[in-house]
Amino acid sequence: MKLKYIGMLLLTIVLAFLYFFINPSEVDFLPKCPLYLTTGIYCPGCGSQRATHQLLNFNIIGVFQQNALFVLGLLIIGYHFLISGFNYFFKKHNYNYIYHPKTPIVLLIVIFVFWILRNIPYYPFNLLAPK
Amino acid sequence: MDQTQPKNYLVESILVTIFCCQPFGIAGIVFASQVNSKYASGDYEGALKASENAKKWMKWGIISGVLLFVLSMIFVFAMGGLAVLSGGDF
Repeated sequence: MKLKYIGMLLLTIVLAFLYFFINPSEVDFLPKCPLYLTTGIYCPGCGSQRATHQLLNFNIIGVFQQNALFVLGLLIIGYHFLISGFNYFFKKHNYNYIYHPKTPIVLLIVIFVFWILRNIPYYPFNLLAPK
Repeated sequence: MDQTQPKNYLVESILVTIFCCQPFGIAGIVFASQVNSKYASGDYEGALKASENAKKWMKWGIISGVLLFVLSMIFVFAMGGLAVLSGGDF
């Protein structure tokens, strides 16, 4: 179990270095989105590699330009770790909205709406598409 | 309800959805929603089962993402090697 976490930590560090130094827009050896490659449709995750690069270089506007959902995802994940970490260390029982029955449904709706909107090739929707 | 809510893998499913493999991530979120709603309505067995399903989809999402990454790396480096051998014309 412990080995698994060490492995995950190492992998994260390696990937962080990779995406810090390499701009995915400029190289072509990183994997492309299979959906975009085959159909030309952007998926909700398209632009995440470029967004990661922008984030690691502290360019928040760049992250928004590549994938706005990425920011929402980061906020949710940050929220989850903050709450569960706080509860764990201070032995509290604050309610975590990750476990609310409505949360995943709202999230699904947001993802699908985002998916549709970013594929409309007109202003202002094309702002959501990755650059 | 004295049992604690089963892990719903929502966070992991979001990660999978954003970083690769949408079908897997979205299935994971659907099962996460089932974990939450079934647990809220008192169906602990159902919630547990949905939790296992969510974990399964999340796991396959991560595996396929890693596989895609490694394969594309191998493919590109193999092509790069061929390009060097043939004088770099393609």
